[in-house]
Amino acid sequence: MSTARTAGPAVAGPGRRTSPARRLGLGVAVAALLAFTLFPVYWMLSSAFDPKAGHRGSSVLPSGFTLDHFRYVLDTGDFSRYLLNSLVVGLGTVLLSGLLALFAAVAVARFQFRMRSKVLVMILVVQMVPMEALVIPLFLQMRDLKMLNSLLGLTIVYLAFSLPFAIWTLRGFVAAVPKEVEEAAYLDGCGWWRMFRSVLLPLVAPGLVATSIFAFIVAWNEFVFAFVFMQDDGKYTAAVGLHAFFGQYSTDWGAVMAGSTLITLPVLIFFVLVQRRLAGGLAAGAIR
Amino acid sequence: MAGESGSGLTGAAAPEEAAAPAALAATVTGRGRGGEPAGGGPREARARRLRRGLRPWLLLAPALLVLAVLLFWPLVRVLQLSLQDYGLREINTGESNYIGLGNYREILGDSFLWTKVLPNTVVFALACVLLTVAFGTLVALLLQRLGRVWRTICSSVIMMAWAMPAVTGTYVWIWVFDPLDGVVSGGLDALGLIDPEQTNWFTDRWAFYAIAALNVVHHGFPFVAVTVYAALLTIPRELPEAALMDGANAWQRFWRITVPVIRPVFLVVTILSTIWDFKVFAQVYLMPGGAGSNEDVLNLGVWSYIQSFSRNEYGMGSAIAVLLTLLLLGITVLYIRLLSRERDEL
Repeated sequence: MSTARTAGPAVAGPGRRTSPARRLGLGVAVAALLAFTLFPVYWMLSSAFDPKAGHRGSSVLPSGFTLDHFRYVLDTGDFSRYLLNSLVVGLGTVLLSGLLALFAAVAVARFQFRMRSKVLVMILVVQMVPMEALVIPLFLQMRDLKMLNSLLGLTIVYLAFSLPFAIWTLRGFVAAVPKEVEEAAYLDGCGWWRMFRSVLLPLVAPGLVATSIFAFIVAWNEFVFAFVFMQDDGKYTAAVGLHAFFGQYSTDWGAVMAGSTLITLPVLIFFVLVQRRLAGGLAAGAIR
Repeated sequence: MAGESGSGLTGAAAPEEAAAPAALAATVTGRGRGGEPAGGGPREARARRLRRGLRPWLLLAPALLVLAVLLFWPLVRVLQLSLQDYGLREINTGESNYIGLGNYREILGDSFLWTKVLPNTVVFALACVLLTVAFGTLVALLLQRLGRVWRTICSSVIMMAWAMPAVTGTYVWIWVFDPLDGVVSGGLDALGLIDPEQTNWFTDRWAFYAIAALNVVHHGFPFVAVTVYAALLTIPRELPEAALMDGANAWQRFWRITVPVIRPVFLVVTILSTIWDFKVFAQVYLMPGGAGSNEDVLNLGVWSYIQSFSRNEYGMGSAIAVLLTLLLLGITVLYIRLLSRERDEL
């Protein structure tokens, strides 16, 4: 980085002439960045496939290739059930938050009513409450409702965490739909509900995809609540299952890394798939 | 998760501005619907108006209900609980047992808070924020200087660091620093620098938090890099070019042009990183000794959890949680004031 800086008069930007020193500096910086960023991912994957993972020490390459660790965590470690639980909770959160947030977003973006901006600001303020501070009251609440070991109970807690963000994001998408499109639907004799279903919904679909992915990742990665709520090991989510597995077999690093890989891969794929849109959305959000 | 609250807050930086187009759209649509054939007597008209007035509330109701029951009410409850001596007996009977500010007095009067927990929380968070923002900005500047292909490669790889869930990321770092078989201790042993039998980084407070900081920065810098990079793109090209003409070097151009222009974005990524790093839980709790067996490494979040769920002192745990919330609230208010002053100047 510093090399790039001392390279002097070349101004940033594509299409500029680059001196050899500057190119070398950039190359070193890129290599360092890639190494630092990828190292944990690489170490996780290579240990997960290494037959002698626990004793690899500092050898950079794995000693061989095996799927035994994956078989072990899926069968003995019961990871197939944990992953299924996580999937159920994640999809439930996505569906519910998408639906409720879309309704709410239409209300705040398309209707003028008293307290509209108050409602918006309130949703925003509520989002800033650190959810970690709510573990104790929510635990007691869920306990009273007899929902402690239920996937549904966990789903509605995650729903609450993903809703404010989803409402704010979708509000922008709904507001961006030109009102002429809506008017045309009315002129064609559509009622409000029909217009909502066949005009608004398809047009805000990209926004729904974005909020769905975020909601899924929140639910998939969350640890504290799943850890506190789920006391029966048949109901563990993947993250809690990994914790339990580590507690039992902490020195079996191959298996622990195989479990970690199983949890990480879906999120990794999601992120890389949406990275362009993600970057664009963040940029729009940050600069607005 | 990072992204989730991320955009929410960033978008929120200017609620009024952002709301304006939406309000406009709503007004116009309202007029559009006014074009529906108006028929019937005044009573029907009133009924229709009432229906229309009710519709936004019907649409909002499910979301508001969820937020009220699962965010607002628990917030009230945690405040109530923090004023009680709430233990196993109260959990089983459901009775309340108010003791006023007793929990707070006990926590604030305990030197454990001031010598261990608070430094573990505050110093750690500040160090992480500083490192995350500095490193993320450097990466953003690097991205700006790369060609299209390498930029795509680098940003995809950065996404991978971001995507790694905190739980699995933490286990990977524990494995990397495992005292007996990990890669770091193996490498240092091969160089003859340490004796793995005699070394355990996780028992030492500083080493423990250095590893946690590495974990947090590795997970947190992509958000800063991506956001700052997006902001860099908005700087009009004439500005650095003019400065170049005036003979400013890269260092001066960065501090005199880039930083002032994208200051609001810096503030936003700093506040978000601060909030996230103050309430770090899994990255500490899951580390060896982090779950309470090593009291030296407790932070506010983990302490609150352990008081409640391991020691059944839910009132005390709630009081610690309230302190953490107040700390975050203070920081948020401070930043928002900075941010709004920024907006007045612009």
